Amino acid sequence: MSNGSTDLIARLQSEHAAAAGGLPQTVPVEVRRQALEQLAAAGLPNNRDENWRYANLRALKSVRFAAPNTTAAVAPGDLPAPLDGFQRFVFVDGLLAVGLSAPLDGAVRSSASASGADRDAAAGREARFALLSDVFAVDGLVIGLDAASARRQIEVLCVATADGSEGSSYPRLAVQLAAGARLQLVERHVSVGSAAAMVNSVADIQLAPGAVCDHVRVQQLGARCTALDTLDARVAADAQYRLHSIANGAAAARSTLQIRLEGQRARLELTVGTVAAGNQTLDTYAMVDHAATGATTRELFRGIAADRSRIGFNGKMIVRDNARGADSQQMLKGLLAGSDAEINVRPQLEIYTDEVRAAHGATTGKLDENMLFYLLSRGIEPEIAQSLLKWAFIEDALVGIQPEALRRSLELQLARQFQDIAALDGLLGSHA
Amino acid sequence: MSALLEVEDLVVSVGTKKVLDGLSLTIAAGSVHAIMGPNGSGKSTLGYALAGRPGYEVVSGSVRYRSENLLELPPEERARAGLFLGFQYPVEIPGVNNVYLLKAAVNAARKAQGQPEVDAFEFLKLVREKMQLMQMDEAFLSRGVNEGFSGGEKKRNEILQMLVLEPTLAVLDETDSGLDIDAMKIVARGINSLRSAQRAVLLITHYQRLLDHVVPDYVHVLARGRIVKSGDRTLALELERRGYDWILEAA
Repeated sequence: MSNGSTDLIARLQSEHAAAAGGLPQTVPVEVRRQALEQLAAAGLPNNRDENWRYANLRALKSVRFAAPNTTAAVAPGDLPAPLDGFQRFVFVDGLLAVGLSAPLDGAVRSSASASGADRDAAAGREARFALLSDVFAVDGLVIGLDAASARRQIEVLCVATADGSEGSSYPRLAVQLAAGARLQLVERHVSVGSAAAMVNSVADIQLAPGAVCDHVRVQQLGARCTALDTLDARVAADAQYRLHSIANGAAAARSTLQIRLEGQRARLELTVGTVAAGNQTLDTYAMVDHAATGATTRELFRGIAADRSRIGFNGKMIVRDNARGADSQQMLKGLLAGSDAEINVRPQLEIYTDEVRAAHGATTGKLDENMLFYLLSRGIEPEIAQSLLKWAFIEDALVGIQPEALRRSLELQLARQFQDIAALDGLLGSHA
Repeated sequence: MSALLEVEDLVVSVGTKKVLDGLSLTIAAGSVHAIMGPNGSGKSTLGYALAGRPGYEVVSGSVRYRSENLLELPPEERARAGLFLGFQYPVEIPGVNNVYLLKAAVNAARKAQGQPEVDAFEFLKLVREKMQLMQMDEAFLSRGVNEGFSGGEKKRNEILQMLVLEPTLAVLDETDSGLDIDAMKIVARGINSLRSAQRAVLLITHYQRLLDHVVPDYVHVLARGRIVKSGDRTLALELERRGYDWILEAA
C-alpha cells in the first residue's frame, strides 16, 4: 500500500467516525465496521492492481467520502422523459426523492440494505468500492418480486447534483427475483447541473430458478463526474439475465461487473457499449463465472475512443470444473477514432473442464477503409461517412435494448455525439 | 458528340506495381463502351483510379471529365459531379441502412448543385419505382447496406443506387459477375433504362454475355495496362470465340 493510499484510508476512517452517528441502521453498524476494516486491510484499488490498470481514480484524492449534507432541489423537468409503462424511482445524490418517485409498495422498498453480495474472498478484491458503499450508503432501492407476481417494469433514475468535495453519493439497488418472476429494469445515472460529482453505485441482482431479468444500465453523468459502480449478479438454474450497459458520460468511469451463473442452463447476455471523447477514461471489468452445467454466456463489447480518450474492457470468463457443457462467446471490438486515443480490449479465459465451447474474438482497429471509400464514392462527405461508420459500429451494442423509446433516445444521443444531428437526419427511425 | 471523358496516357501504380501503363480512352456522351480483358490486365484499377480510391496513385497522364481535371477532385466530389462506380465487390456496411445511404447520397449531390434537399415522400416514391424495376423487395430498404445480401442482390443494389443517383458517367466494374441469367437480364434492363444522349456507360467485364443485353457502341481490349485493340460489338463476339491470346500475341 502506498503512502497516498494510506492517507486515503486514514481520511476514510475519520470521515466515517464523524458521519457514523447519522448513518441509517438499515446497514447494521457491524456491517459498516467490517467493511471499513476490510478496506483498511486491502486499501482502495489503484492503477498498480492487475484489474485496475486502465481506471482513472484520481478524483478519490479530492472527494469527501461521506454523503453530502445537502442536495439540490430537482424538478421533474430536469429529468429525462419518463418511459411509458415504467414505474420511476428517483434518487438524488443517493437519497430517494419521494416527490419524484412512484409510491413504494410491498415489492419495492427503500432501504440502504441493498447488499446481499459476497464482499470477501478473492472476488472481493474487485468489489472494494462496494465495501466503500457499505461504509457510507444512506439509502437504496430493494426490489423483491415473488413467484406469483406479474412482470414489472421499473426505472431507477440516479441523479447527481452535489460536488465531490461536498460528498459522494452511493446509490444502491438490490433485485431479488423469486422463481419464474420477471423484471424489466432500467437503471440510469445522470447529472443535474455541472458539478464534479463522485458517484459510487452498487447493484446486487439475484435471480432464482427460471427468473428473467432485463436490465439496461445507462451512465450519462456530467462531463466532470467520476462514476464507480460494482454490480454483483447471481443467476440460478434456467434463469436468464440480460444486461445492456451503455456509458458515454463522466470524466472517469469504472464499471465492475461480477456475474455468477450458479444453476444449470443459467443464461447471460451481456452487452457493453462505451463511447469516449475528449479526455474521458471509461473502463469496464466484466467477470463471468460459469459454475453449473450448461451455463451459457453471450458477451458483446463495442467501444469507440475519440480524441485523447481511453477505453478499457477486460472480459474474464471462468468455466469451473463442474460446468460441463458450458457455452461462452465473447465478441469484443474497439474502434480508435482519434490518433491519441487508446483502447485496451482484453479477453481472458480460465477453463477447468474439457467439455465446453468457448469462443472469443477481440479486435481493435480504425475505421474500415473499404467501407469509408464506398461511402465517399457515393458522394458522402468524409466527416459524415466517418460518423456513419462509428454509428454502425456502436449500433451492435444498442440493438435489442428495450423499451424501444429508450433505445431511440440513446441512439439519438450517441448520433449527436458523432455528428451534428441534421446531417444524420433520417438515419434514425422508420423509413417505410 | 462532345467528349465526356478523356483519358490520356494514364499511368497508375498500386503499391510498387505499375498496373495501368499509358491507357488512353475517350468516351462521348450518349455512348456505351465496354472494356474487356484477361484477369490482371488492370480493368478494376481503371475503375478505382477514375473514382479516386486512395492507394491508386496516378503517376502520370491526365483524365478530363466534362472538360475538367478529374484527378484533382476527392472521391466524394467526383461522385457529386455525376461519376458513379459500380463495385465488383459491393461493401457490406451493417448498421447503416440502405435507404439512408441512398438519401444521403442524393442530398449530397443536390447540395453540391445548390438544390434543396429531396422531398422525403417524393424520394421514397422514386426509390420504390426503381426497386420495382430491379425486382427488389422493399424489405431491402431497411436492411444494412449490402448486409447479408447474396452476390446477385448486391449487384442489383449497385444498379439501384445508380438509378437513383442518375449519374452522367457510370463505370460498372464486373457488374455481371456472379449473376444468373435472370438476374443479368434485370441488371441489363436497369442499365439500359439509364441510357440517354447526355449520359455514358463504361462496362468493365470479363465475359461478353452482358453485352448481349447491353449492346455497346465500342469494345476495347485492355492488356498489360493499356488498350491494345478497339472495335465495335463484333470484337466482343470474336473475343468470346477466340479468347484473348491472339490479341496479346499481336500486341
